[in-house]
Amino acid sequence: MTVAAFSPEWAQAFKAEINKSPVYQQAGKGWKWTVGLVVEAEPDKKFPEAKGVVMDLFEGEARDVRVGSAADAQACDFVISGSYSRWKQVALKELDATRGMLQGKLKLKGDLPTVVRYTKASQELTECTTRVPVTWPDEA
Amino acid sequence: MTKPVDYADGNAASPFAQMLGGLIEANVVSRPEKLKDFHNLKARVGIFVTDIDEAVTLDFEGGHLLVRNGLADGRDVTIRADADTVMQLSNVRIGFGGVPNYLDSTGREVAGKMLRGRLKIEGLVGNLTTLNRVTRLFSVAE
Repeated sequence: MTVAAFSPEWAQAFKAEINKSPVYQQAGKGWKWTVGLVVEAEPDKKFPEAKGVVMDLFEGEARDVRVGSAADAQACDFVISGSYSRWKQVALKELDATRGMLQGKLKLKGDLPTVVRYTKASQELTECTTRVPVTWPDEA
Repeated sequence: MTKPVDYADGNAASPFAQMLGGLIEANVVSRPEKLKDFHNLKARVGIFVTDIDEAVTLDFEGGHLLVRNGLADGRDVTIRADADTVMQLSNVRIGFGGVPNYLDSTGREVAGKMLRGRLKIEGLVGNLTTLNRVTRLFSVAE
């Protein structure tokens, strides 16, 4: 069953995928910070308002994943921002998040050494998003 | 105290340049054990990320780093690898005597990529000390 992109149902499905992943459980050990994903608005893609995804990740477990405002996401310890189209590319495996950050397609705020130390964990989080079947607003 | 890292291209510094410069700056500022390497390192190091076609030149000037977009001439060492490998290089642990540990899982993966040609290091001969210092400055592993 597909869920609408960046909806509360999507957040729950994403959380479930993270908590099913043995790779993330291992790679995320030691991580104890919140992560916010800012999905910037793109009205021409039928994504008229920015949204924020707030992830409470702790020691290889997703304790909570919820969809809120962009401001909610920006208040997290680590923030990754990108347009709706960029995040869609990430979810469709057309853009690797690490490469996206190195190219400036996604913007990172937070302690760089910590993020780099957990590269494997962030790659697996990206993998988890790709496992959630999604309905995209610009394709609906 | 002057800034440890500056960008030759100013506001036009590429995201990759800012990321590498930011990583080294954060390491130098937050981990005093890296200061000795930072002050002793005088070398021009190029890094080319093969899968995104991005490059930077790092001019280590003995206590100061100037980061510039692209590959400048006169490099002592040039590292060519894909983005994943560049990230892995930052996760190489530093072992006994300050030598990068190529025997644990991350180190073995990096060494394996070198053997398979996915990681190329030009100028290695004669610059091993430089490479080890750069690896220590890059390393975020604890």
